[in-house]
Amino acid sequence: MGNKDETSGNKHSLSKGASLTADPWEAALHKVAESADRSAFQALFEHFAPQIKAFLMKGMSSYADRSQAEEMTQEVMIKVWNKAASFNASKASVNTWIFTIARNTRIDFIRRNTRAERKIEIEDIWHEADSPEPIVDFQQRRVEVEIRNAMSTLPGEQALVLEKAFMENKSHNEIAEELDLPLGTVKSRIRLALNKLQILIDR
Amino acid sequence: MISYHPDSRFLTDFASANLPMAQAMCVSAHLEFCGKCRAHVQQLKEVGGHLLSQIPPVAVEAGSFEQLMSKISEPQSAPVASSLEARTIAPKSAKETYLPRSVRRLSNGSLQNLGWAQFGKALRIAPLPIAGETLETSIYDIKAGGQMPEHEHRGEEITVLLKGSFSDADGTYSRGDFVVRNAGETHQPTATQDTDCICLVCLERPVRPRGWLYRLLEPYMQYRLHSLKRAATAS
Repeated sequence: MGNKDETSGNKHSLSKGASLTADPWEAALHKVAESADRSAFQALFEHFAPQIKAFLMKGMSSYADRSQAEEMTQEVMIKVWNKAASFNASKASVNTWIFTIARNTRIDFIRRNTRAERKIEIEDIWHEADSPEPIVDFQQRRVEVEIRNAMSTLPGEQALVLEKAFMENKSHNEIAEELDLPLGTVKSRIRLALNKLQILIDR
Repeated sequence: MISYHPDSRFLTDFASANLPMAQAMCVSAHLEFCGKCRAHVQQLKEVGGHLLSQIPPVAVEAGSFEQLMSKISEPQSAPVASSLEARTIAPKSAKETYLPRSVRRLSNGSLQNLGWAQFGKALRIAPLPIAGETLETSIYDIKAGGQMPEHEHRGEEITVLLKGSFSDADGTYSRGDFVVRNAGETHQPTATQDTDCICLVCLERPVRPRGWLYRLLEPYMQYRLHSLKRAATAS
């Protein structure tokens, strides 16, 4: 069908475009994976470790003090070192891959510090590498570009709820409580924001 | 075909890892069946990745990188490229490949390893012990054609169909469906004739059976389930 041709055409132009504006961190990760390249890893560390630390401190104010955030940042970076070979550039950007590792490390930390279930592995639930899904890979990268471009156009109240959910570690219920809004309002703000980012969830 | 999916609240709270573990298990189980929702979660993670790149950075301590490299060069932290696969639990038999990873882990690869309580001819329930969790999480096994007692929900209930199908007054649900019932809703699920129905169920509060016989039995049911759960947690 014409539709199919169009899709594969787009795919080519996108991969060309992607190589022009390539994610600079992909090459660094590949060097770490292939030759345990210390200076490439140091560059990754200098860029990402302060972001990871900021993320951990925001999301865990009630659990962690500064020194724990430091230690956990190192834990995240050790995983980056160990898992560099499993990074798949066709599935996610380096930012997203590192976000996922930091997010999982954070849940694991909370779990170790509460009486939560230990038997189950965090990755049994929150998989780091989702199962192969070639049909959606291309869409993934397109969406990533759209998300980046559209994020800056979000109204303040929509940007705020996304920030609280993803960076401050808050559920819909917790956001509703904190902002003193009905749950339905929080849900619709997040949905409106996601629609603008072209993340079109049915309900 | 999957017709019932988690809504944007469940998917967002899952992608940002803000769901209680029991509910996250249900979303994760659905994702193993549903490529569309998996793609949505990946997109939502892109939102997280983008926000992370915009966060005002907090400087790490001096010497942090050197300290990290000395940890990495310790022999026990040698690269473990494919540890993820090695750490997953394989199903004990080909018949149980439909079990989601989290259920395989908690049941040690087979539902036969769980402690089951039989209720009538058609229904048996195995509580999944998840420590530190106030939600009740269980596996329900309804015999082909079997009917569950009509019951009313006192809190939110999530059901993920792992195998077979069931129907109630509102529709028919099949493998992979993610069905949410809210407090006050009443239904009487019936498994379809051809095959047994296996579900992962997560309850905010126990449901209240409506028939007088089941009302009489309820304290016994709760007692049985709790003692199974205690035994499983202790093991």
